[in-house]
Amino acid sequence: MPVARNCRSLLVAWLLLVFLSSSTPPLSLADEPDAKSAWEKRYLDQVLPILRDRCAECHAGEEADGPFDLDKFAKATHFDSQADVWEQVGKRLRLNEMPPEGSPGLNDPQKAIVHGWIDATPKQDLCSQLATDETKAWYRGYVMSRRLTRTEYSNAIYDLVGISVPSSAAIPSDGSGGEGFDTAGDALFTSAVHVQRYLEVATQIIDQALSEKPGVRDRLLGDAASVASDQLQRTHTVEVVNQFARKAWRRPVSVDESKRLMSLFDESLSQGNDFTAAVAQPLKAILISPNFLFVVETETPQGGVQRLTDHQMATRLALFLWSSIPDEALLAAADRGELQSEDQILAQTQRMLADDRARALGKNFGLQWLGLNRFETKVKPDAEVFPHFDPSISSDLTEEAVRLVAGIFRQDRSVLELIDSDQVQLNGKLAAYYGYDLPPDADWQSVDNHDHRRGGVLTLGAVLMSASYPRRTSPVLRGRWVLEELLGGHVPPPPPGVPALEESVVAEHQTLRERLEEHRKNPACAACHNRMDPLGFGLENYDALGRWRDSDAGQPIDASGKLPAGESFSGPVQLKQILLQRSDEFEKHLATKMLGFALGRQLNKFDDCVIDDCLELLSQRHHRSSAIIDTIVTSYPFQHRFFKPAVSASK
Amino acid sequence: MKRPQPATRRQFLRGTGAALGIPFLPSLAAASGETPPKPPLRTAFVYFPNGVWEKDWVPNQTGADYELSPSLAPLKSVKDDFSVLSGLDKKNSHGGDGHYAKTANFLTGMPVAKTTGKDISSGGVSADQLIAQHFADQTPIPSLELGTEPVISGIDSNVGYTRLYGSHISWQTATRPMAKEINPRVVYDRLFGQRNKENADKAKSYRNLLDFVMEDARDIRKRLGRDDQFKMDEYLDSVRSVEKQIEFASSNQPRSWQPSESEKALANLAPGIPSEFPQHIDLMLDLIILAFRTDSTRVASFMFANDVSGRNFSFLDGVKGSHHELSHHENNEKKIAQYQKINQWHVARFARMLEKMKAITEGDGTLLDNSMVMFGSSFSDGNRHDPDNLPILLAGKAGGAIKSGQHLAAEGQVPLCNLYQSMLKANGIELESFGDSNGEFLELAGELA
Repeated sequence: MPVARNCRSLLVAWLLLVFLSSSTPPLSLADEPDAKSAWEKRYLDQVLPILRDRCAECHAGEEADGPFDLDKFAKATHFDSQADVWEQVGKRLRLNEMPPEGSPGLNDPQKAIVHGWIDATPKQDLCSQLATDETKAWYRGYVMSRRLTRTEYSNAIYDLVGISVPSSAAIPSDGSGGEGFDTAGDALFTSAVHVQRYLEVATQIIDQALSEKPGVRDRLLGDAASVASDQLQRTHTVEVVNQFARKAWRRPVSVDESKRLMSLFDESLSQGNDFTAAVAQPLKAILISPNFLFVVETETPQGGVQRLTDHQMATRLALFLWSSIPDEALLAAADRGELQSEDQILAQTQRMLADDRARALGKNFGLQWLGLNRFETKVKPDAEVFPHFDPSISSDLTEEAVRLVAGIFRQDRSVLELIDSDQVQLNGKLAAYYGYDLPPDADWQSVDNHDHRRGGVLTLGAVLMSASYPRRTSPVLRGRWVLEELLGGHVPPPPPGVPALEESVVAEHQTLRERLEEHRKNPACAACHNRMDPLGFGLENYDALGRWRDSDAGQPIDASGKLPAGESFSGPVQLKQILLQRSDEFEKHLATKMLGFALGRQLNKFDDCVIDDCLELLSQRHHRSSAIIDTIVTSYPFQHRFFKPAVSASK
Repeated sequence: MKRPQPATRRQFLRGTGAALGIPFLPSLAAASGETPPKPPLRTAFVYFPNGVWEKDWVPNQTGADYELSPSLAPLKSVKDDFSVLSGLDKKNSHGGDGHYAKTANFLTGMPVAKTTGKDISSGGVSADQLIAQHFADQTPIPSLELGTEPVISGIDSNVGYTRLYGSHISWQTATRPMAKEINPRVVYDRLFGQRNKENADKAKSYRNLLDFVMEDARDIRKRLGRDDQFKMDEYLDSVRSVEKQIEFASSNQPRSWQPSESEKALANLAPGIPSEFPQHIDLMLDLIILAFRTDSTRVASFMFANDVSGRNFSFLDGVKGSHHELSHHENNEKKIAQYQKINQWHVARFARMLEKMKAITEGDGTLLDNSMVMFGSSFSDGNRHDPDNLPILLAGKAGGAIKSGQHLAAEGQVPLCNLYQSMLKANGIELESFGDSNGEFLELAGELA
């Protein structure tokens, strides 16, 4: 185990100690206040005058663009609360994205001063503040005992019963919150139609399992159905019901709960129903109960920040890695109290990643991150422009994305392969679509990607299609996709009154490139479009269906671009090389996304130390993906939560 | 095991069964020779995304003798059955960027919380949900919330809103959007699935199950912190609502609805989402009409599509591109022409709905006469996203409470919520104010108001 991990586990242990003996204030480095005030002084003396000179035109006063308003920073950096603003300022200056083209930029001596100051940014040691009374507030107000998402619910039913929830069941779709995932508890709502569907699905699935499918029936009932004596049958049934409830509810079932479940069985029998109909009742109730449908993390009377129980940890792990509920091995580990140490958690994690259910990391996390989870229903190329497009390719394009992302995490590969890779995942159909040489009926396989025209998420057909219009490509949409989904940048919407020129019908005498270049002469447009458009033009070799092309309407494709920082490139292969140079931004974004998905809430500044840990371990492990997953599952926020003291007053 | 509470609640429901009344079925009343009761008022809110090209929407004249504008031309055959309301404003949407802050509060009129997740709020209960709560005990289903697309996924980190705001206009509380049904067959089953006799056993089994899980939920709720208790309340309320629905179905006469020739398509709906968008729209609107005709509910909301919908409208002659893309017309004539065609297509779907409602006789009038159907978008010009001079139509006569067949041009920032306040009043809900309303929309008042 790497050194850093041990250090961190010591830190966590120490933090717990601090928390438990909560009167001890958190330690801080002795020289930190001095370093910080020196840095602050440097800001006021040297940096602020330059920013006033070059940025105030757009970034001061009531009309200030974005969160960077110099008036607010006229006397101090307010770094403690505004660290994210300063991080953005530093990044945009460094990439030469600001000041925008057309406005006077910083000269070299000014750059030296500002960049030097940014490099000296004091490191905030927020990890050591996690458990103080003041910082607990950051964990308040999030919904944590959330409902299972539609995906988790469907996976869990399948894992429990062995029958898929039919798509005709029409479980309502979920929206997103937090860092952009449906796992965000605050954005998961329950309406009457949900309960109605849960009721119908439970009825349908259990009835089907008990009547039609012998294998499934035996799995549920064991030999309870064939026992002769009534008394013995009831004893067996109790066991069947308890076991099913334990799996579905992810915890041991109390005697009282078991009695209540069995009363449904008894009542049904007493009404003259046969054994199968009677045993169906408690099994259905288990699947409609909030104990199944919700991630129940019940509170303790004292409240505060506490470690989750082993069973709660098991559920969190399973939802994160499998988008489903724990299996028997994980539940048994929780029963034995073996989800306590980092080693135990990591061992389970490794086991779970090897399991096929970990495909969910591609199918659920991956597709949501890439914005492809509605791809098959939403993206519809225009039939007039693309008369030969076969919509059935959509599922293969989605599968390619799933396999790419899941493969990275399951095989502990470098996350940089998400930017560029020597391999592509193809089947015969997709190979023909992309122009690779495979037999038409070939199954999914890794194919060497010598020319690097594919490989990585950026050149996935599904991504290129979804960032196009129905009738043509869009360098702007694609550029924005790279900037936002890959690098974690922000692109504000166009200011009011400024036409989004690129969207207009292309004038006949001008190419799209020419029009966009004209567009960027306006500094108001240039600030963002200089960042987006070149990235998008680098992908012009792919048509609106994501297929390779060398020419468009008889004109050769010009896939060259120049970024504000000065790098020039031509074509997707070189573009990917440039993006690899910005792998730190990519890795930070990926870790942020994954942590947000795993925690099911919006991240706050205290979660940054988990991100920092991820980045540190990534560099130690040569960018292998386990650095992110291992850090998250052993992180403080994944294992702990804030509990508001339970209020027992009923509604 | 003794569980007195649910039994008591059920006895209560049975006890009030008589007071719940038999759903409005004029044909039954007529057959038995009784005087038919006054038909109930039905209210629908129909939303379409991405605004309109105003110059072709707002009629040039006002009053009863106005001429239909080009975009409203498809409504010719029902011109006397609806009014054009122009110049209405949604004050609390002026601050929000883009679309989301305008759609989530389309029917609440309150400020939408700027958030990507935490503390999601549309500012208040939507008008349709107030009506649903008002009539909750009188129809099998309190309300219908229909659409054609799943909730938009993801967040818009640039404008700082979760995209789910663009997918919901119906809010049961300020912090609780209603899930939308987008599958016509499922809606049909919800309306008529539990009506027949062989389902009586199922209903009993369902009730036992719901009683059980209700107790589970109460038990869990006690052990949750406040933030999480709200989520368990949603579950509890939903279980109660489903229980009521089942109770209603089994304690009242089953609906003996027989589809007419033209309604056969509804009774034989295939599972799944129709592949053609126009067909999907017509089916969902037909289902609303059917729900109203059989008095299965008194209120419905419908979203033609989620906000910012990028649906490809090239299936229309002369249109090449997607809805949202073309709504950003940049004052380019070619794009405006296509944008306007899309607007007109939406109006034509609405016209078809009104014509169907007008063809259904009810008492002395028609189903349309006894309804209020509001049709509109959450901002005016798609290129500017301005939440003033909203494109709003109001069809039906609310049983005589409103006057139709005119163009009413509001002057000086009249709140859209004034219209809602009037619509709520017509439903028997008297409020001092609703959203940002500053009075009623008196110009609408009909003879019976």
